[in-house]
Amino acid sequence: MNLSKHPQTLDRLAANYALGTLRGGARRRFETISRDNATVRAAALVWQGRLSGMTELQSPILPAPAVWTRIQNMVQAERDAVAMQLARQSGQAKYDGAASWLSSIWQGLWVWRGAAAAGALATVLAVVTGFSLRDQLDIRGKQVDELSAQLKIAPKIEYVAVLVDAKSAETMLVTFDAKSQNLVLQRVGDYKEASDKSLQLWALPNSGGPRSLGVLGGDKVLRLATAEGDVKQVPTLAISLEPKGGVPSAGGPTGPVLFKGALIQKVI
Amino acid sequence: MDAIQTNQADSDLMTLLDKMAKQDEAALKALYDMTSSKLFGLALRVVNKREWAEDVLQEAYMHIWRAAVDYRASLSPPMAWMGLIVRSRALDFLRRRASERMHLTQELDEYLSDTIEGDTPNPMNTALASEQAWALQQCMNQLDNKQREVVSLAYLRDLSHSDLAEQLKLPLGTVKTWIRRGLEQLRGCMARFA
Repeated sequence: MNLSKHPQTLDRLAANYALGTLRGGARRRFETISRDNATVRAAALVWQGRLSGMTELQSPILPAPAVWTRIQNMVQAERDAVAMQLARQSGQAKYDGAASWLSSIWQGLWVWRGAAAAGALATVLAVVTGFSLRDQLDIRGKQVDELSAQLKIAPKIEYVAVLVDAKSAETMLVTFDAKSQNLVLQRVGDYKEASDKSLQLWALPNSGGPRSLGVLGGDKVLRLATAEGDVKQVPTLAISLEPKGGVPSAGGPTGPVLFKGALIQKVI
Repeated sequence: MDAIQTNQADSDLMTLLDKMAKQDEAALKALYDMTSSKLFGLALRVVNKREWAEDVLQEAYMHIWRAAVDYRASLSPPMAWMGLIVRSRALDFLRRRASERMHLTQELDEYLSDTIEGDTPNPMNTALASEQAWALQQCMNQLDNKQREVVSLAYLRDLSHSDLAEQLKLPLGTVKTWIRRGLEQLRGCMARFA
């Protein structure tokens, strides 16, 4: 049947299509015909436009004031990110190579990489094996060989920190891989920040104020591009609870410090 | 009177969207103050839980903020454009929720379940509505309450006949009949506004 010659049927189908109650095979057939036939397509668009008015006809209800605060925080975080990006670009233009270590910090702050979970976990396993679980290795027999082999091919771990909370419970394992210039963070406790908050990682150097190393997403394992110069002279790392998206580095943490730990340079 | 008010509201909103396209954060605040109750009412109607509707509203305004630069190209009245953004964020939210927690779909269904109160009129609210929505409102108000309710829920929550029957705890045949009659009447009525 040529739908464009049956206006009543076309109108009925188009109305059902736009409402969403035309489903399955009938819906797919209607879409196929629409792509070839402008009259059919127009009928569908007319009904989509008419029914879209439905979104405008609901009774107003006042949302909680916190919603605006959250939006404001996110907009501000985005603006800061753009400013950082610009600073990074102009910095590179001006200082070129000399500023490249700086730029990699900027990148670390704002450019997230997907956590390569398998690789990161292998790293963490290798590190744990090499240090705190050393004693248990003897018992684990066959695992020793496997893990030692992994250790050989594993990244060059130069720094390790275990961040603990006020009750000294482990919450975060942090390692620095000098080969890939990555700071790897693994959540080990079951702490979960509220959906409108973010955890932010800080370096606490001997002199000068805290420096932000980055804001944590919700993933279990995170890799954060960081220059070695940025962790080298840092005795302590800390994590604070901040508004969603984190706060600018310059102002230091604004929320409570939840977790803290010494950054140890690996010598063995 | 209403058409004039509508035009004024539309042009105010469009001015704000133009300013937002130039990263004017004060314009975002002004737009939020003007529209958030209306859009929150919509989000709540789709997801049926305050906490979820607040998440949806936050996502929607971030989307509106970033997409303001594309608004003019949409050729839509501003409230219709924003309404569609809220609806699609809300539907995404429900889909995400359903796929993340398959074992909790029971819970989801319970939140979404509504009862149709055939004798309580739920007139459509025209605050800030575009002219196009005014026409729809005129026609929707001619339907009987049950038909109006199933037709608007079908659209807002993108539900099939059988989903509707489940959420409203009504026989499938009843839902089909109400939708068919409601839509027939709507077609006749909307044709006069074309």
